[in-house]
Amino acid sequence: MMSFFNSYTPLLELALFNALLAFSQYVVLRAGVFSLGTAAFAALGAYAAAIMVTKLGMPAWLGLIAAVGLGTVAGALVAVPLARLRGVFQALATLALVQIVLSITLNWVDVTEGALGINSIPKTIGLFGMFCAVAVVTYLMSAMGSTSIGRAFDIIREDETVAVSLGISVPKHHMIAFILSGAIAGLAGGLHAYTSYSITPNEYGFNMLVMVLAMVVLGGRVSVWGPIVGAVVLTALPELLRGLQEYRTVVQGALLMLSIIFLPRGVADTLIGTLRRRRITLASTKAKAVTI
Amino acid sequence: MLMQQLLNGIVVGSVYGLFALGFTLIFGVNHIMNMAHGTIFMWGAFAGLYAVTLFDVPFPVAVLIGALGGGLVSVILDWTAFRPLRKQGAPEFSSIVSSIGASLILLSLAQQLTATRVMRFPFDIFPIVAFNFFGLRIQLLQLVIIAIVVLMVVGLLYYLYRTSFGRQIRAVAVSEHTSKLLGINPTAINFQVFFISGALAGIAGVLIGIVFNSVHFMMGEPLLLRAFVVIILGGLGSIPGALIAGLLIGIIQTLTVAYLSAGLADALVFSTLFLVLLVRPTGLFGGASAVARVTRR
Repeated sequence: MMSFFNSYTPLLELALFNALLAFSQYVVLRAGVFSLGTAAFAALGAYAAAIMVTKLGMPAWLGLIAAVGLGTVAGALVAVPLARLRGVFQALATLALVQIVLSITLNWVDVTEGALGINSIPKTIGLFGMFCAVAVVTYLMSAMGSTSIGRAFDIIREDETVAVSLGISVPKHHMIAFILSGAIAGLAGGLHAYTSYSITPNEYGFNMLVMVLAMVVLGGRVSVWGPIVGAVVLTALPELLRGLQEYRTVVQGALLMLSIIFLPRGVADTLIGTLRRRRITLASTKAKAVTI
Repeated sequence: MLMQQLLNGIVVGSVYGLFALGFTLIFGVNHIMNMAHGTIFMWGAFAGLYAVTLFDVPFPVAVLIGALGGGLVSVILDWTAFRPLRKQGAPEFSSIVSSIGASLILLSLAQQLTATRVMRFPFDIFPIVAFNFFGLRIQLLQLVIIAIVVLMVVGLLYYLYRTSFGRQIRAVAVSEHTSKLLGINPTAINFQVFFISGALAGIAGVLIGIVFNSVHFMMGEPLLLRAFVVIILGGLGSIPGALIAGLLIGIIQTLTVAYLSAGLADALVFSTLFLVLLVRPTGLFGGASAVARVTRR
């Protein structure tokens, strides 16, 4: 058992990191925001954490606070122009944000070391730390589902007109979603910097954006199981498809297309919906049997 | 020097405009943000390049084949990625995701086909002739490119506003359901829209491939990202807006690269997008009807 963990530690860490990124994407999609900015927020978090430790000589916990803080601030700043815009424009603008962050991390060489990235970051966080972070975020997300914010998110996603008629402020909740997304992605980036020894700008580019989006689309956007299922499947997939190395991108693209066309709610949400319906029909037939 | 850079900016910008035109057409008619438009551009360039290297065709035929290739890929994309979603009445978000998936597939196939090489058009594809105007050096190729772009824009405007097909396209853009009641076949309209959009991207692909003397599988990505800025700056679905914003972005970029730094150009161009969204989300040419579609209140 121990040797199993040892040989798969990097993979498990990657899966947990992906799960955190997926949660950052999940929280915006749940609120009906088409943000694709997770990769940008994660890059900011990772660079904040790495710079705090390697250049300023701060302890790692302070670096993590800086990572979460920078992610949160970036999310809030982006939300100011974007919370009042419609979906497609949010998607375009956040895509541009990813590019802006990428070109800053590539070109501001004095601070970010440019294309080489920041190397030899001491590894201060292990599998257990990552696991704790994912557990806390999962708990917070599932707790959020039963607060007024979570319910408001669900209504906005399903029908904005209904949400407005119920007195829910759409821009305000979109802003909350952006801030949460920024904070979670910042945390993910910071943890990644402390587990992977080095970070480079191109890790946080278009590829990450697509992968994170694919995880949440495949997994599901409502239940907290969605991002976890998506992260596990898409982290394991490249390992399972080793023989098809060259066609990995094709498989990923096809998966994205097929799941949005044939399984638009995602694996986890569809499954949960089916189970719930079955339970209801069972209960109602039982109730009928009793009354007869 | 400044005038020379301005001229270069106009040439690059007009190709950006041509690329963004197809993007904004699909956006205006089908309300789809086609993330695979960059790969269609790339496949158009490939079609032109293979026609030249395998069959030794002259420049005009290469442009035509590029247009045909781009149009064909675009129509196939519509059938596989967007039509099933249209049937379900899926939200905008689904078509974005579906087109990202399609673009990954198209990109990866191109990478396999070319083994990640950077390819070039042969040097004699276009005669190198330069004119001197008041100290400005203008190449024949640059003039031809501007002429092609102007021709395409005028042709598209004529098609959309002066023919019965164009009237049908504009009707579908307003409401697909109502136009169906009026006897318009939306399937045929979507076919036309996607073909035209892909053909414009294909032409842009061949032109960019010749101007920068390189054709490779990632060539669409920077253009697609700039197209986002162009359509937001120009105003949603606006054809003159796309062209003028394309020129503006081309000039801004060329001048930044020439006078400041190449690294700054990207950051500046994409920051423009945020500035526009903050100050005037409908863009330069967005009318009152655009306001309702862009913002919430």
